[in-house]
Amino acid sequence: MKNKLIAAVHALVLGLCIAFSANAQDSAKKDLVLKGDARCTRCHDASDDFPVLAIAKTRHGTVADGRTPTCTSCHGDSESHVNKPADAKERPKPDRTFSKTSSTPPEARNEACLSCHKKDTARVHWAGSTHQARDVSCTSCHQIHTGHDKVRDKRTQPEVCFTCHKEQRAQINRPSHHPIPEGKMTCSDCHNAHGTAGPKLMARDSVNATCYTCHMEKRGPFVHPHEPVNEDCSNCHNPHGTVAESMLKVRPPFLCHQCHTPHGGNLAQLSGQGQGAALLGATTTGKSGINYTQARGCANCHTQVHGSNNPSNTNPTPQFFFR
Amino acid sequence: MGAARKSTARTQTLLALALLAALGSARADDAEDVAKLTKQDSSASAGIGTASGSQRDRSLFGQYNGMREKGSYLLLDLDYAKRNDQTGYWTRMWGRNLGLDNREAGVSFEQQGNWRIDADYSELVRHDPRTINTGVTGIGTTTPRVNLIAPGAGTDTNLELKRTALGVNGKIWLTPSLLFEASFKNEDKDGSRLWGRGFTCTSSAAPLPTTAAQIGCAAAPNSQWALLMLPEPINSTTKQLEAKFNYSGERFTLVGGYYGSFYTNANGNMTPSVPGTLYNPLGVPTALGTPAGLTQANGLLGILQSPMALPPDNQAHQFSLSGNYAFTQSTRATFKYSYTHATQDRDFLAMGLANAPAGVSNLSGRMDSTLLQAGVTSRPMPKLSLLANLRIEDRKDKTPDALYNLEGVNRFANTQSNLYRLGAKVEGSYQLPKNFRATLGMDYNSSDRGAFGLPDSVGGVTALRQKNWETEYRGEIRRTMSENFSGALAFGHSRRDGSIWLKPNTLPATGVTPMADNQIFSRTAGFPALFTDRKRDKLRGIADWLPTEQLSVQFMVEGAHDRYMEPGTKGLTDGTARLYSLDMSWSMSENWKLTAYASRGKQTMEIDHSTGYLASLSNINNSLGVGINGKPSPKFSVGGNLAFINDRNIYKQGLDVGASGNATGLANLAFLPTFPGLPDVVFRQTRLTLFGEYALEKNAAVRVTLLHQQAKLNEWTWGNNGVPFIFSDGTTISLNQNQRVSYAGAQYIYKFQ
Repeated sequence: MKNKLIAAVHALVLGLCIAFSANAQDSAKKDLVLKGDARCTRCHDASDDFPVLAIAKTRHGTVADGRTPTCTSCHGDSESHVNKPADAKERPKPDRTFSKTSSTPPEARNEACLSCHKKDTARVHWAGSTHQARDVSCTSCHQIHTGHDKVRDKRTQPEVCFTCHKEQRAQINRPSHHPIPEGKMTCSDCHNAHGTAGPKLMARDSVNATCYTCHMEKRGPFVHPHEPVNEDCSNCHNPHGTVAESMLKVRPPFLCHQCHTPHGGNLAQLSGQGQGAALLGATTTGKSGINYTQARGCANCHTQVHGSNNPSNTNPTPQFFFR
Repeated sequence: MGAARKSTARTQTLLALALLAALGSARADDAEDVAKLTKQDSSASAGIGTASGSQRDRSLFGQYNGMREKGSYLLLDLDYAKRNDQTGYWTRMWGRNLGLDNREAGVSFEQQGNWRIDADYSELVRHDPRTINTGVTGIGTTTPRVNLIAPGAGTDTNLELKRTALGVNGKIWLTPSLLFEASFKNEDKDGSRLWGRGFTCTSSAAPLPTTAAQIGCAAAPNSQWALLMLPEPINSTTKQLEAKFNYSGERFTLVGGYYGSFYTNANGNMTPSVPGTLYNPLGVPTALGTPAGLTQANGLLGILQSPMALPPDNQAHQFSLSGNYAFTQSTRATFKYSYTHATQDRDFLAMGLANAPAGVSNLSGRMDSTLLQAGVTSRPMPKLSLLANLRIEDRKDKTPDALYNLEGVNRFANTQSNLYRLGAKVEGSYQLPKNFRATLGMDYNSSDRGAFGLPDSVGGVTALRQKNWETEYRGEIRRTMSENFSGALAFGHSRRDGSIWLKPNTLPATGVTPMADNQIFSRTAGFPALFTDRKRDKLRGIADWLPTEQLSVQFMVEGAHDRYMEPGTKGLTDGTARLYSLDMSWSMSENWKLTAYASRGKQTMEIDHSTGYLASLSNINNSLGVGINGKPSPKFSVGGNLAFINDRNIYKQGLDVGASGNATGLANLAFLPTFPGLPDVVFRQTRLTLFGEYALEKNAAVRVTLLHQQAKLNEWTWGNNGVPFIFSDGTTISLNQNQRVSYAGAQYIYKFQ
């Protein structure tokens, strides 16, 4: 009798457990995050190889916004993935996948995003942009199933860009640089990776227009303009970083002498290199090899190198950027 | 017995209830877990950080990170995000580096899909890494005073430039297809930056003054020169306002808007006070020369004390219309039209700048620019992609001419900067058998600077060109060899050409005269690299290999060669660039990941001065990085990063013996046998960062960050081998060439949802 009772209680407990378990399974089939996601989340959860639930933390997980997608909006219905065909050795992949080894063509991958994001102002020029033409897909840079998308955080964005742009990775660590390593600026402050009407994916319509957003004092126009400045700041500057000061591509005088020919006969030389009286005397000219090499180089005298607005028509006239 | 049975049954019932209770609790935990995985994460952290060494030791480390001035800092950060799942309302607040001088903070409110408004505040101080030892007082003002000091006996000064920015952005969906976006940003810049002035007498720009109202150079033997370090005073404001309407139809998007940008400068000019005695080139205090019959202030002293123009107020208004259109699913077009009206009409006298031409009170600067861009992409068949793009930029300088310049009898006008740029691109890409994909393209770019105005004169260059054009042919072959391996090889060849050279007429005649290459050729002339003919070859190869799911390897090589073909033999004649890079990423286990990279770049340039040095410059850059992140236990995560850079600039020089026939050239020629050359400039930096984060509770952790940075910047800009470059007033500038900084920071992090 005792054994029967024990067995009965065990049976009851087991029954309740099974019932509860079944109930729990029903519960797991309910949508967890997105509309209709139960089709996926019954297998894929946070502990899966492909954790998915964190998408709920993002804008894509805002169900109250009727425009937000569900899993199949991006990955396709993936019928054969959900219901593995009996004759398949391995479970077929979803209709659209986004990993680095995905066989889904980049255009099809991007279409999943652009079907909504083509409306975004910043993506108007995606078609024909360098990244589009080189088969870069949105997920080459963006992570969707995470609350922290590296490329949308200015502190971590550069490391995403440096995946391809290796030269710039080395340059930003040089002593003369924009505050990119310090996390105060990032690549997208100057470039729109989604395409622009300007060259080099510049955020504004040209290199100069982009630079002027922060360096508007260089815009002029000036009484005495310096033509290479007006054409392209990158004629003289490498904005990704240099060892020479002011992010100059080459140190003066070598930079300036790519175009200019004055102050003849000198070597580029330094104080204390044993110059004799003919090169360093009490009345030696200021246009010396030392003076155009050290300190600010040619800009020691031609100090208004971005242009001067001095109208003076008396001596010394400012047309050589003296004042 | 019955009691015993009753007791047993009761025990078992309790056991069952306990089990049920446990299961019920597990179910509640599931819901909690799901909530934890799906709710927005927020955190607030507070702590302290301390960096070793003096300000000079931290000058490279602390250039922008807010840790130059003091040794210890408060570390405060905040990230708050909350969404109402029922309404889609978001509230976000964030603050970073709140205890440092590069702090930033922001707040945003949004109903996703309907509207959003956000505001952000940011401070950034650039601490110039150089230390200035000077007697100059009034740094940061428009009237600095120069005082003669013995070199090294001045006050150590570090220049700072602070940017304070406030931005407000908003957008609202007026209809499901119509979006309105607006933004405003105000940025104040305050501080000073390294600047200066110098002048050499005699000069054609400053002939001997003959009246008390003139300044100019005294006649020999009183002809002198001076170089002064004078920081530029900065007190300016930049404002940017942008408003856009974005309309999206089924097949097109149209964006129309206005962008205004406004620069105002509280400073119009800088007028220094300079003593009448400065050091001569040998370091001997010497009175500045006095033109015969006049005062010292009519000579070089007057030139040095004359007002220097600071950047003038300017503004630009841009109206634009851009968009795209999908003709079919596979054929799309993009376009942009913009018109920009930029002006600069700051009153000269209000800037403190006198002696403008009669009747001219401001430049009346006006630049009208038009941009037109149109592009089309198409995939006429599944294997073929086509792309074409046209871009026209037309900048018209409508600033009136005035005779601003007077050099004795020579009078000439300001220069106008017109520019018409045309860029065109066509490209085709075809999917070949065996997973090859081939791309061929052609780019054409031209610049037309307009006819050179007759009242204008050119200074400082041998010749100009009105037009340049460049055509590039390029191709790429890419192959996906397997799911785990792909590679690409790209090449490009371009040639830049230009219109006939324009030789500046000899003053007093203004304007230019067209000349054929053989006419304009001069053995001692350098032609601006901007205008010269150029052949450029480029090559790029990349290989991506994923040997396992856990390991990825990427190799890249790039090369370029420029050959400049000017009518002469001087100036920039040749340039090369090479880059080799290897990257690796390895997920060693579920909890450990290792990344590493190594790259080597080399660039060379051949630049020959017209009558002086023959320079062969090279830059060699080696970089190495290793990063590791791991989670040794569920509560403990650690990481480390090692970044190394070794950058060497080499300056080899010879002398054009034949060209250097003047006295200076002969003196340099005599100096050449003992000339040690310019030492290599070496920048070497190693930075090791380690962090560990330990979860004290589910919602609290401590994070410790350790950093050590060693930097060496061995250069001669401000001094060489212990010999400083000395300005004419005794000012010297230096930088600690070997800097070591250790930093330790600890933060308590509170996490919540």
